[in-house]
Amino acid sequence: MILLKGVKVFNGESLLKGTFDILIEGKRVRSIAPTGSLTIGEGVRVFNLDGKIACPGFIDIHVHLREPGGEWREDIESGALAAAYGGFATVVAMPNTNPPIDSPELVRFVRLSGERVKGARVLPAGSVSKGREGKELTEIFRMVKEGAVLFTEDGSPTVRTDLLRSAMLYTKDLGVRIMEHPEDPYLSESIQINEGRVSTLYGLKGMPPSSELIDVERCIILSKELDAPIHITHVSTKEAIKAIRRAKEEGVKVTCDVTPHHLTLDEGKIPESGFDPVYKVRPPLRTEEDIEALWNAIADGVVDAIATDHAPYHLEEKDLPFEEASFGIASLECAVAVVLDAWRKRERLIPLERLLKLFTSGPSKILPEGYRDLGYLKEGGVANITVIDLDRVSKVDVSSWKSKARLTPWNGLSLRGWPVLAVVEGVVFE
Amino acid sequence: MEWRHRHLFDLDDWSREDIETVLRVSDEIGRALESGGKGLPSVKGKTMVNFFLESSTRTRVSFEIAAKLLGIGVINWATASSSMAVKGESLKDTLWTLESMGVDAIVIRSSWVGAPQYLARKLKRVRVINAGDGSHAHPTQALLDIYTLWKTFGGLDRKKVLIAGDIVQSRVARSNIIGFRRMGAEVIISGPRNMVPLQYDFFGVRYEPDLPKAVEEADVIYLLRIQKERWNSNVIPSDYEYHLRFGCTEDLLKRAKPGAVVMHPGPINRGVEIASSVADSDQSLILDQVRSGVLVRAALLYLYLGGEG
Repeated sequence: MILLKGVKVFNGESLLKGTFDILIEGKRVRSIAPTGSLTIGEGVRVFNLDGKIACPGFIDIHVHLREPGGEWREDIESGALAAAYGGFATVVAMPNTNPPIDSPELVRFVRLSGERVKGARVLPAGSVSKGREGKELTEIFRMVKEGAVLFTEDGSPTVRTDLLRSAMLYTKDLGVRIMEHPEDPYLSESIQINEGRVSTLYGLKGMPPSSELIDVERCIILSKELDAPIHITHVSTKEAIKAIRRAKEEGVKVTCDVTPHHLTLDEGKIPESGFDPVYKVRPPLRTEEDIEALWNAIADGVVDAIATDHAPYHLEEKDLPFEEASFGIASLECAVAVVLDAWRKRERLIPLERLLKLFTSGPSKILPEGYRDLGYLKEGGVANITVIDLDRVSKVDVSSWKSKARLTPWNGLSLRGWPVLAVVEGVVFE
Repeated sequence: MEWRHRHLFDLDDWSREDIETVLRVSDEIGRALESGGKGLPSVKGKTMVNFFLESSTRTRVSFEIAAKLLGIGVINWATASSSMAVKGESLKDTLWTLESMGVDAIVIRSSWVGAPQYLARKLKRVRVINAGDGSHAHPTQALLDIYTLWKTFGGLDRKKVLIAGDIVQSRVARSNIIGFRRMGAEVIISGPRNMVPLQYDFFGVRYEPDLPKAVEEADVIYLLRIQKERWNSNVIPSDYEYHLRFGCTEDLLKRAKPGAVVMHPGPINRGVEIASSVADSDQSLILDQVRSGVLVRAALLYLYLGGEG
């Protein structure tokens, strides 16, 4: 039995008044009671968490665990542990592995591998097309039965619109949705960064905002036409978030997530740093205006979730001249701090509850119905809890990470607001 | 002489005085050469590597001749037979190997923007000189172009320089826009709209889509080659169509001001961006540019490798 003592509680919807003790028995939350009101027997492990905030275990619906086929970058074991230490109780593993997760057997592989390791719970995602070739639908039904929670071509857009349309219809009655990585494939060929001031001045090929917008609008049109849900991941431009806002106002079933890096880093970092590939990511870092638009969208409830798009690489794949380096930012073990720290400047604009939903009930709504409870903290629920300390100040230090990644844009930075404890099905990670 | 720059990436952090220093030293070297080599500065005991990962004729040979004039040892990096190409050795291991052998400068050309900055991050004791990084910068070209115009007109203040052609892909355009403007010139760009960056305003230049109109105002007509090797999609339908719209022909040149000059960084594609007769005419400074290149690169090696005298 575990007791989390003296915490404030965010239950997935709102911050409860007062302070509480949370008693965990086995894998379940036994009680949430006003602090001091529970009689505790012996042998209970007590954590004194004065004034810190207990939330439903954070959920990250977009992480790359690289297994199978990319184990030198990360594997399910290191990734799950990294997630837990980053404050996440649940992660969804992206299917663009090698081989891709395009069959029920491979979904089972990811699920079973996740069950064998310590750390966050790993939920598999499946690809939309066999081999990620963009032509034939995967056996979605069988994959769902093996535990796949969403389907995506992530890493790429779903190029063929007929395939996207077919998949959206097919999954409509299966309770899972398609996650789209929004890009026009031809407008984004060979790009390195955002198309704008930096690409103009420094001669790097840029991805125009229209690339993201075109795919987002395509998804919205289909969602409307089919009355089927679609989730758009890592939205990075003001144009795309505006389109999603407008679609939501019309009642279209579109949801979206944003990454910590698109909320905090702008394209200026690239020339400033002498073209350091730690800032090379896809979609690319955009402008300050885009960053503000994303935060405003969070304030207005247009953004449903924050997802890291944790993209670990081996050092030798990033420590190259900018144009040769791989795209991706690793952030599982500092993402929450990056967001909490950046939120501080916008505290008046965004109430804490709204922000915390983006890590909890928000992402849980993108998952199938049966996983909805993961986004809420209540008595009798599974003991997935993330405790955060808004005032804790600490430096990001990649060398202490459980992830295999050893590069992150925030390394060495002092951030305020950290997860201090994560409980995953009753197991504590400090 | 105190030279305040450690590496040469681009001219964006250069002052006008820095540029003028290079012009002055280049001129002194030019005069020393004319008097049979007397008074040429010597940069004893230094070694430089021409690290060319992208093709080049002018720049590489120019740097080699410049170095030899000053007594600097030159290693020409043999790309195709290197351990990097054949045995899977990484770029940084290659660099550290060269550094351990005691080279003093690496002149790097590559198709990757930011490659010189990468080298500078990896190397502690070696000066890095950018001979062209992707479409980003070609500072030595800009300096030799400024020198050529300085010798021709006595200066660039209030001169109108027209840069025409494949601007989006051009490191020469980018460095020259910075350099010419720093020396007081006004820069106008021209070319097909899809070869000009969408947001060219960031350059601080004027865009004139009508080439003849732009030619009429210009003191300098600076032409650029279409860099087909960098394009991955169809941008112009044919060389002929490009020539009709944006080629500098004899007729077009007739509309320019008397005394206007034509420049090109080379290599030229005769009949595309420039008519043969124009390239070979008296108004063309193309070969003067090449001559200037040796002097300016010698001046830079002198300044960066710490020669005295």
